[in-house]
Amino acid sequence: MDFNYIIAMLLVALGLYCLLLKRNLIKIIIGLAVLTDGIHLFLISLGYRSGGIAAIVSGEMFSDLPGFAARAVDPIPQALVLTSIVINICIVAFALSLAIYSYRHYGTLDPSKLRRLKE
Amino acid sequence: MEFGPGFWGPIIATAALLLITAVAWLILIGGRKITKAKPSAQKLQTYACGETLGAEEIHPDSEQFYSPIRRVFRPFYRYIRPAHTGILNTYLFWVIAGLIIIMISIALALG
Amino acid sequence: MIPHAPILAIVLPLFAAFLMPVVGILARRRGIKRAREWFAIAAVLVELVIVASMIPALREGQIIPGQFPVYELGGWSPPWGINLAIDGLNLFAAVIVAGISALVVIYSFVCMERDHGLDQYYTLLFLILAGMMGVALTGDIFNLYVFFEIMCISSYALVAFRRKWQSIEASIKYLIVSSLGTSVILLGIALLYGMVGSLNIAHLAQKLPLEPTSAIIVPLALFVTGFGIKIAMVPLHMWQPDAYQAAPSAVAALFSGATATIGIYAMVRVVYTLFGAFAIGIMLAVLGLVTMVLGALMALAQRDLKRLLAYSCISQIGYVLLGLGLGTSLGIQGGLFHLFNNAIYKTMLFMIAGAIIYRVGTSNMDRLGGLWKNMPVTAMLFGVGALAISGVPPFNGFASKWTIYVAGIEAGQPVFTIIALITSALTLAYFLKAFNSIFLGQRPKHLSDIKETPLPMLFPIMLLAVLCIVFGVLPQLGIDIVRPAQEAVMNSGGYISAVLGGA
Repeated sequence: MDFNYIIAMLLVALGLYCLLLKRNLIKIIIGLAVLTDGIHLFLISLGYRSGGIAAIVSGEMFSDLPGFAARAVDPIPQALVLTSIVINICIVAFALSLAIYSYRHYGTLDPSKLRRLKE
Repeated sequence: MEFGPGFWGPIIATAALLLITAVAWLILIGGRKITKAKPSAQKLQTYACGETLGAEEIHPDSEQFYSPIRRVFRPFYRYIRPAHTGILNTYLFWVIAGLIIIMISIALALG
Repeated sequence: MIPHAPILAIVLPLFAAFLMPVVGILARRRGIKRAREWFAIAAVLVELVIVASMIPALREGQIIPGQFPVYELGGWSPPWGINLAIDGLNLFAAVIVAGISALVVIYSFVCMERDHGLDQYYTLLFLILAGMMGVALTGDIFNLYVFFEIMCISSYALVAFRRKWQSIEASIKYLIVSSLGTSVILLGIALLYGMVGSLNIAHLAQKLPLEPTSAIIVPLALFVTGFGIKIAMVPLHMWQPDAYQAAPSAVAALFSGATATIGIYAMVRVVYTLFGAFAIGIMLAVLGLVTMVLGALMALAQRDLKRLLAYSCISQIGYVLLGLGLGTSLGIQGGLFHLFNNAIYKTMLFMIAGAIIYRVGTSNMDRLGGLWKNMPVTAMLFGVGALAISGVPPFNGFASKWTIYVAGIEAGQPVFTIIALITSALTLAYFLKAFNSIFLGQRPKHLSDIKETPLPMLFPIMLLAVLCIVFGVLPQLGIDIVRPAQEAVMNSGGYISAVLGGA
C-alpha cells in the first residue's frame, strides 16, 4: 500500500524537476502532465482497498449493507480523479496548441527565448 | 465615521478641498496678472546635439520620469527588477520558492 | 427572491455560453447585425438581476428549506450531497462579479468590434462568468476546484484570443504557472480528503479542529500558494503583468475586477472558514506589504500603460491582503471594502486604457501625449480613477485605505501603516506620470486627429466613475455593503451551523 504513495510522490517530484529545469516547452508540458498524474495516483490510492469490491450495491448485497461497506472501495476519489483527468486533458491539449503557435511566432520552443515580455 | 481619536467627515473634507483649490486658483490667476512671462524667441527653442527641434517632436522618456525616486530605491531596481526575467522556468522556480516560504511561515505562525 | 436563484446564477451563464455560437450562426443566416452582442448583454443583465435578487433575501434572513441560504443539489442534504451555501461573503463576491461582468460585456460591444471570432469570445466570457459564479456560490471544496479550473482554462484562451506573439507568449506562461497552482490546490484537497474523509467546506471546518495542528500545515500552504497565484501575490505574481498586457483590454478589465475578487474570496473562504487559521493572518499581512511595495516600485518604471496598471493591480491586492491579514473586524472590513473599491476603479482604468488603444492603437506611453485636447472626457475620467486609486479624498479609495491604516494602528502594527502610506504616495506618483505622459505635454503630430471615445464605451466608464465619487462622499454606504461579508468572515460557526443544520 505504501508503495503507491512513494510512487505518487516520485511522480510529483519528477514533474517538478521537468518544470524547473527542462528548457523545452513540450517537455515542460509533459512535466505538468506527469505531476498531475502523480496527484491522481495519490488520490486514487487514498480510496483503494486491496481485494475490495466496486462500490455498486446490487442484488444480495442489500441484505448485508455493513458488510458491503467494509469491503467496498471508496468511490469518491475515483469520481474526483475522473473529473480531474478530463480537466487535465483540456489543459494539455490547449498548452500543446499554444506551443505550436509559439513555434510559429518565435521559431523555437526554448522558454528562455520566449521573453519579449519582461520586467 | 468615528475612528478612535479624530473623525472623518467626507462632505466637510470635500468642501474644504474645493475651497482650497479655488483659493490656489485665485492666487495663480492673480500672480499671472502681476507678472507676465515674456520669453524671447530664443528661449523657447529646444536644441538636441546642435539641431533645433520643433515642439511636437519632443517627448520625455517615460521610463526616466522619476529618476530621483528610483535612485533612492536603487537596490530594488538593481537586483529585484532584473529578477523578472520573462523566462518561464524562473517563474516556476519562484512559485516553488513561494510555496516553501509560505509553508515555513505557516509552520512558524501555527507553532 | 427568484426561485432557485443560487443554481440559476451558475446555470444561466453556462447555457448562454453554449447558445452563443448558435445565436451567431442564426444571426449570420438571417442577416441580423450584432445579434450576439445584444444576446450577451441581455443574458448578463438577467444574471445580474438573479444575483441581486438574493441580496434582500439574505438581509431579511429568509429561509427556504433546501433552497436558501443552503441550496441542496438533487435534494441530498449536506455533507452527503453537493450544496451551494450563500452567506454574506459569497454574495458580496457574486455581486461584484456579476456587476463587473455586465459592464465588461457592454464595453465589449464597441471595444471588440474590430476582432474576428466574436462567437468564441463571448462563449469564453460567459464560461469565465459561470466559473466565477460557481466558485463564489459553491459549498463543496472539490466543486470549487472544478469551477476554478473552468475559470482558469477560459481565461488562458481569452489571453491568447488575438493570437499575436505577445498574447501567445503571455498565455503559455500564464497557463503553465497557473496550472501548477491548480494542481497544488488539487493536492491540498487530496490531503484534506485523506485526513477527514469529507469534501463539504462546512463539514471539513467542523472536523479539522480535531486534527493535530501539524497535520494542517502542508494542505494550508498548498491552498494559500494555489490561490496566491491567482491573485498575483508576491513572489507568485510574475505571470500577471504579461497576461494583462497581452490580453484584450476588455478581458484585462474583467480579470482585474472580477477574477482577482474571486481569488481573494477563495483564499478567505479556505483560510478563515475552512481552516479557521486566523493565526496565519500576520503572514498574509507581511506578504501583502511586500506585494504592495514591489508592485508600486515596478509600476514606477513601466513604459506601457496596461503593464503599469497590471503592476498597480498587484500593489492594490497587497492592501487587501494587509487588511484581511490584520484579522481584526476593522481590518477585515477595510480589506473587503478595498477589494470592492479596487474592482470599481481598476476595471475603469483598464477600460480607459482600452479606449486609448481603440482610438490611438498603442498603449506605449512614449508614443502618446497631449491627448487632453482630443479626449477631454476620457482624460477627466482617468483623473478620477487615478485619484481614487491613490487614496485622495473625496474618492472611494481614500475611505477604504483610511480604514486599513486605522486598523493597522489599532492592531498595534504602526509600521505596517507607515509602509502602506508611503506606498500610497508612490501610487499617486506613478499615476501622475501616466496622466502626464498620456494626456498632458506636447502632442505628437500623428495624434492630432484623434477623436473622443465612442459613447457606448464611455458609458460603463462613467458609471464606474460615478460609483467612485458616491462611495467616496458617502463611505457609510460602502461600509453597509461590506458589513455582512465581514461578519460572515468572522463567524465561521454560523456558516457551519447554517449548512449542517446545527448538527
